[in-house]
Amino acid sequence: MILQTIEFLDVLANIIGTILLFLMPIVVPIGEWVVSWISVGIDFLRQNFSTDFMFYIIICVILVVSGIIVNIIWPGDKQGSIFHKGGDKIDDFEDKYDKTEDDIVSEVKRCKDCGNPVGDSEICPLCGARQI
Amino acid sequence: MGSVKNMVRGFVFTAIYVVVTIVIPLVTFSLIFNLVVQGIPLDFEQQDFQNVVFWIVAFGLVVSGCAFFTFSSPKQSIRRASFALIQVFVNCLYVWSYKFSGATDLSFVIIGFGSFTLDVQQMIMTYMGIYFLTIVLKVYDIIDFTINREKIRENRMKA
Repeated sequence: MILQTIEFLDVLANIIGTILLFLMPIVVPIGEWVVSWISVGIDFLRQNFSTDFMFYIIICVILVVSGIIVNIIWPGDKQGSIFHKGGDKIDDFEDKYDKTEDDIVSEVKRCKDCGNPVGDSEICPLCGARQI
Repeated sequence: MGSVKNMVRGFVFTAIYVVVTIVIPLVTFSLIFNLVVQGIPLDFEQQDFQNVVFWIVAFGLVVSGCAFFTFSSPKQSIRRASFALIQVFVNCLYVWSYKFSGATDLSFVIIGFGSFTLDVQQMIMTYMGIYFLTIVLKVYDIIDFTINREKIRENRMKA
């Protein structure tokens, strides 16, 4: 009744009805297929697990407990604990690498007068000053 | 910290699903089966009520368990999409359980007046159609999350 009194809804209902009629040859077999596999599953449960709730309670508990465990290991916003150990090792290695690089830069001998790198040379190749 | 947040979200949605799939239907069917029309109680078989209640609670528990796993998983994760798909399949079983347990076609006898039948089978069939579309969407989600996995993870780590 509501669909017939409001013109916009009437038009909308007609459009949806037309689409559904057009899709019916596709949707009906799909629906039958869905119903067929559901019926198989339901029949199995009716024959084997229709006496007490224990089976369903166990499934529920398993899902909740496994959900908790999985969330602790892989929370999603950071690397999980299993991979996190590896991540720490990589971070440590990177820190070490950066430190070594800094050390190398600071250890380079420079000319006291002009600041040019002189290496092991006793005389600066740029300004000629002696490095003693 | 993320895991605690995920689990709280999971428990909240589990509670919602317990209410929606178990508590509300149980209360509704209890009210229907205890309905009194003009002082005359409706007559029905006790076996019907027990059958309906059993399957509602049984599948309601499984749906709620799946809901915990789904909603406690990180957003846009393959884990979440996979369990959302499983949850839709279990939901199909849950909805269909209304039909085979006799809940869609309840006959009431008013003593001295006659009888009437509550037929909600068409409504259940419509739900099944909607669930099929949901299955298609969830399959798309799994494909999408699998293809864009690296990008999603990068965005999640930044957030």
